[in-house]
Amino acid sequence: MQPPGMQPPGDPGAALFELPAELAIDTGIARRVLAAFIRAQLRQAGFERAVLGLSGGIDSALVAFLVAEAIGADRLLCVLMPYRDSSPASRADAEHVVLRLGCPSELVEITPIVDGYFGDAGVPGAGGVEALEASALRRGNAMARARMLVLYDRSVTWRGLVVGTGNKTETLIGYTTLFGDSACAFNPIGDLYKSQVRQLSATVGVPEAIIRKAPSADLWPGQTDEAEAGFSYPQLDRLLYWMIDKRRNDEELAAMGFEPAMVDRIGQMVATSEFKRQVPPVAKLGPRTPGVDYLYPRRRPGSARR
Amino acid sequence: MQPLRIALAQLAPQLGLLDANFARHHELLVEARAAGAGLIVYPELGLTGYHLQDLAAEVAMRADDPRLLALAAETVGCSAVVSFVEESTDHRLFIAAALLEDGGVRHVHRKLYLPTYGLFDERRFFAAGDALRAVPSRLGLGVGLAICEDFWHLHVPAVLALDGAQILVNVASSPGRDVAAVNAGGLGTAVSWRTLLRTYAQLTTSVVVFCNRVGVDESVSFWGGSMVLGPSGDVIAEGPLYDEALVLADVPVADVRRERIGLPLLRDERPELLVRELGRIVAERAGLAEDGTATPSSR
Repeated sequence: MQPPGMQPPGDPGAALFELPAELAIDTGIARRVLAAFIRAQLRQAGFERAVLGLSGGIDSALVAFLVAEAIGADRLLCVLMPYRDSSPASRADAEHVVLRLGCPSELVEITPIVDGYFGDAGVPGAGGVEALEASALRRGNAMARARMLVLYDRSVTWRGLVVGTGNKTETLIGYTTLFGDSACAFNPIGDLYKSQVRQLSATVGVPEAIIRKAPSADLWPGQTDEAEAGFSYPQLDRLLYWMIDKRRNDEELAAMGFEPAMVDRIGQMVATSEFKRQVPPVAKLGPRTPGVDYLYPRRRPGSARR
Repeated sequence: MQPLRIALAQLAPQLGLLDANFARHHELLVEARAAGAGLIVYPELGLTGYHLQDLAAEVAMRADDPRLLALAAETVGCSAVVSFVEESTDHRLFIAAALLEDGGVRHVHRKLYLPTYGLFDERRFFAAGDALRAVPSRLGLGVGLAICEDFWHLHVPAVLALDGAQILVNVASSPGRDVAAVNAGGLGTAVSWRTLLRTYAQLTTSVVVFCNRVGVDESVSFWGGSMVLGPSGDVIAEGPLYDEALVLADVPVADVRRERIGLPLLRDERPELLVRELGRIVAERAGLAEDGTATPSSR
């Protein structure tokens, strides 16, 4: 256990990142819970292996380390899925993680999938002429979904479940692609803010360079999350923590020193992205409707996989 | 009086798999008896798993179910507390805990408080029990049963102690949450439970037994940390966090008498006062009496 706001001497996390005091977690407990969670998700679904997309960023690196810790690196397949203009540094970082863990890995270039739709060098793809002019956002979403496609196919050949790598911060503000990076069988870090991802990463052995570098969706060269959003992750995490976890209203948040304009903007992002965090509604017609009044645990007796 | 050896079966039930869970209960009963335990306690819904939702109806059983009676039959010369989904004759489903003794079902407690807030959704799937009784036991002590959330209501341990319980047994499926570093021991849920268990032991001058499950159902991880406390609030034994374990505790039951003589809190209880004031509050809430309570808005 660490007292809030302090890094004990010799802690590998010291000075690596900024950790707001109220967000500091007991990493020992968190690791135990997450290892057991990962094992249980696989066992209950009848699987022994896992697969994830390794981007070179901190989120997927942390999940790779956690899964390797839970089930052994030999049962984790890391898939590197760069697009042609993805940062070479990201790929090098991902390769570093693979090397460090000693887990199986695979390189699947998504360029032909994405370009096959949007076209390339003025030659239209399946999306037609209009798609040649697609915005960076549309292309970014398509890349995330192309990676999902690859992971779910590898899930079959590798006989492993797809592990999610989205953190709580991006989930809450909706900085995810629906049915893209958010698609998974289970997610061990979805209740950890970015600052907590950094704290946990420092204790499980994620390479320092990955913890230090500016988070980026790598949608275009040089992009960083924080520059795009206009505030830092520790600021954002603190605000979300008080707003969501601790149920503080706008007035209380202002009294705590949060900039009202930022509170407004983040509150709106959270509200706008509500749909991304939920299963789509099914029109209620019959006596018993999946997700409405037909409610079962995901894994239950009668499953052919047990 | 001989010390009583209590065994806490801190297990991870398999969701919906009755046969596997019964088998595990039988195994642990044998193991606990071999270790000299006179009372074996299993966690809430240890026979069925917790996150049942619509499975509840499929794993429900009557209190005289042959599988339950078969387990009871193995309690000749000992006592056990087991928990399952009980279906009443009028087909209500309850979260139940049964005291099995000397080969039979001695008492069934139906969970009184069904948390339906935050991460809990129990009232949707279950009916709430209506009775709170302590029962005499072959252990030579009164036993009071409670299930998880029941202990988040102050009067439950109080009534059980007034009704003659000297051992309060709470069986739980408590999901661990809040891993903030500021929590002593790293887990907010554990801190809260330890505080209230200790308080109850001290205020009721009773032995308090808490058996919490481990394992994972869907999103939640159950934290274990089962414990036995003496009547002065001292921790006699404590199970590990998150791992399965058969925790043994030797309880000097003579301490209950000693504590109650030295600290006669129960002697000094005023149940008639409590009933009178509660009667008043109930009448006022129902609009049957003028509200005499001073609240800022009523002035």
